[in-house]
Amino acid sequence: MADNTGRSGGTDAVLATVTSLPELDERSLVIEAQAGNRTAFEELVRRFDRDVLRLAMNLMKRPEDARDVYQEAFLKVYRNLHRFRFECSFYTWLYRIVTNVCLDHLRRRQARPEDQAPEVHMNRQDEGTRDFFEIQREHRPTLDPERRLMGLEIRTKLARAMERLSPRERVVFEMKHYQGLKLRAIGDALGTTEETVKNSLFRATRKLRQELGELR
Amino acid sequence: MSAGEIKMNCAEVAPLLVFFACDEVGAEERGAIETHLAECAECRALLAEENALHESLCAIPQVADELDRTGMLLARCRSELAESLDEMAMPAEPEKWQPFGWVRRWMALRPGWSAAGLLAAGAILGVQLLQWLPTENSNIKGTAMKVSAAPALSDEQLAKMAVGSINFAPSVDSAPGTVQLQISAEQPVTLSGNLDDNDVRRVLTYVVRNSDRFDAGVRIDCLDALKARAHDGEIRAALLDAIGHDQNPAVRMKALEALREVAGEKDVREALLDRLNIDSNPGVRVEAVNLLVRSLEVESAPQVAMQVDSDMPMLAPVAPSAAPPSSDPSVRRIVRALEDLQHSDPNRYVRLRSAAALRQIGPSEVQ
Repeated sequence: MADNTGRSGGTDAVLATVTSLPELDERSLVIEAQAGNRTAFEELVRRFDRDVLRLAMNLMKRPEDARDVYQEAFLKVYRNLHRFRFECSFYTWLYRIVTNVCLDHLRRRQARPEDQAPEVHMNRQDEGTRDFFEIQREHRPTLDPERRLMGLEIRTKLARAMERLSPRERVVFEMKHYQGLKLRAIGDALGTTEETVKNSLFRATRKLRQELGELR
Repeated sequence: MSAGEIKMNCAEVAPLLVFFACDEVGAEERGAIETHLAECAECRALLAEENALHESLCAIPQVADELDRTGMLLARCRSELAESLDEMAMPAEPEKWQPFGWVRRWMALRPGWSAAGLLAAGAILGVQLLQWLPTENSNIKGTAMKVSAAPALSDEQLAKMAVGSINFAPSVDSAPGTVQLQISAEQPVTLSGNLDDNDVRRVLTYVVRNSDRFDAGVRIDCLDALKARAHDGEIRAALLDAIGHDQNPAVRMKALEALREVAGEKDVREALLDRLNIDSNPGVRVEAVNLLVRSLEVESAPQVAMQVDSDMPMLAPVAPSAAPPSSDPSVRRIVRALEDLQHSDPNRYVRLRSAAALRQIGPSEVQ
């Protein structure tokens, strides 16, 4: 990342603000970044990129695709930051861009499945991934063989069921269950209504239940 | 139940249980669902299933946990993003106008056609140009002279070279003949050309000047080839060097023969007079006498036919006098040298030829 001199900003005023950038709130950082302060933009990236990459990895399930999503999303943010008018939170605006990029990738993947590398599935023992219950904390009932077997089966079926979801259902399900976002926020991120998101989540849950029903 | 509460049945509650389980229902809906659940065991069972599913889903580890446990992927993403931002920050170079840029783009898209087109264009251009390019021997009459494989030889290469063979093809007219030299200088080299070729000339004169390094036969062949260009100062100097320093009388004889056409030149005449006094070989001395007589003949009456028969140098017939004016000091030197030779040369034939030469030069000079 850039040094602390703010290469793109360059003015003394910008330099003065650089030293206190980590202490600035989200709005001030965005304003600095909009003024051309590269260091402020990088501070914004650092505040949110962990969650962005996590979302991308969970959705794309391939590190290479997740890297592409990360790059594409933040470059879009950088190019279009001057258009951000604080009509929503920066977080929501950022997630709108990230989810759109993810949706594009997922749709391309659905359109041309023959060009895609296999996804990383957590349940595949031959790929060296550990069993779900092995990586849980000690207070979990990991010593129950029956439950371990159930966990393994659930993961297998869940992975298969996730592949049946549409890109939008996949995004909604991920953002709801693994990012912990409220449906309203998901709707904002996706540029749609809460009702639409609810429908997507309902369909996604129904499909998953069908796959996992036998195990319950 | 209060009067404002909504009453829901199982069909209405069932689809909402998904959102109830993940806390995504409004306060009013929540109240109505809870009221219904308190009364309906079937819907409670459905909710239990929903909660179990929700728990199962939440308990499953996420892909992100496995893919980037150490944070390396995140660091790499940050680094790549920084590089991309650096590239974006650099001012873009203005695109230069490229003449025939469309041709290059067309060729890049059609490599097969481009290769065929270039070959055809090259062939046509080559055929057309050959008609207009001057050939090396276009200004020379007679036999075509061709120089092939004539690398520039350094002095070091000359010093180390060994001459394998010399083939000399004399020309039918005034043009110099063709010489082909097989030499070994670090690696075998074949030189082919005439005396106008610098490398050929350098090799021939080098051989003549360095008699100790080359076989007498090779030296004679070189002199034979150089004869046609005796008028050239450099070659004449090499020929004079040969008659003065070569140990082999046959080679010195050949050098004198090569100087026949330039015998009237001052430096040649001086060299011939020297030979009369110091050369140990009588044949060389006789040939020197012949050339001196010839030089005087050419000088006084160029139109007179040559009187000295090169095939019979020792016994050349006496010709009518054709002496130049006696006032010429060089002529008087020659006469004096011949008179000395006539009386003191140890070889009889030399003495006889000197006497004949004096008669040939003329009574006035002899007196």
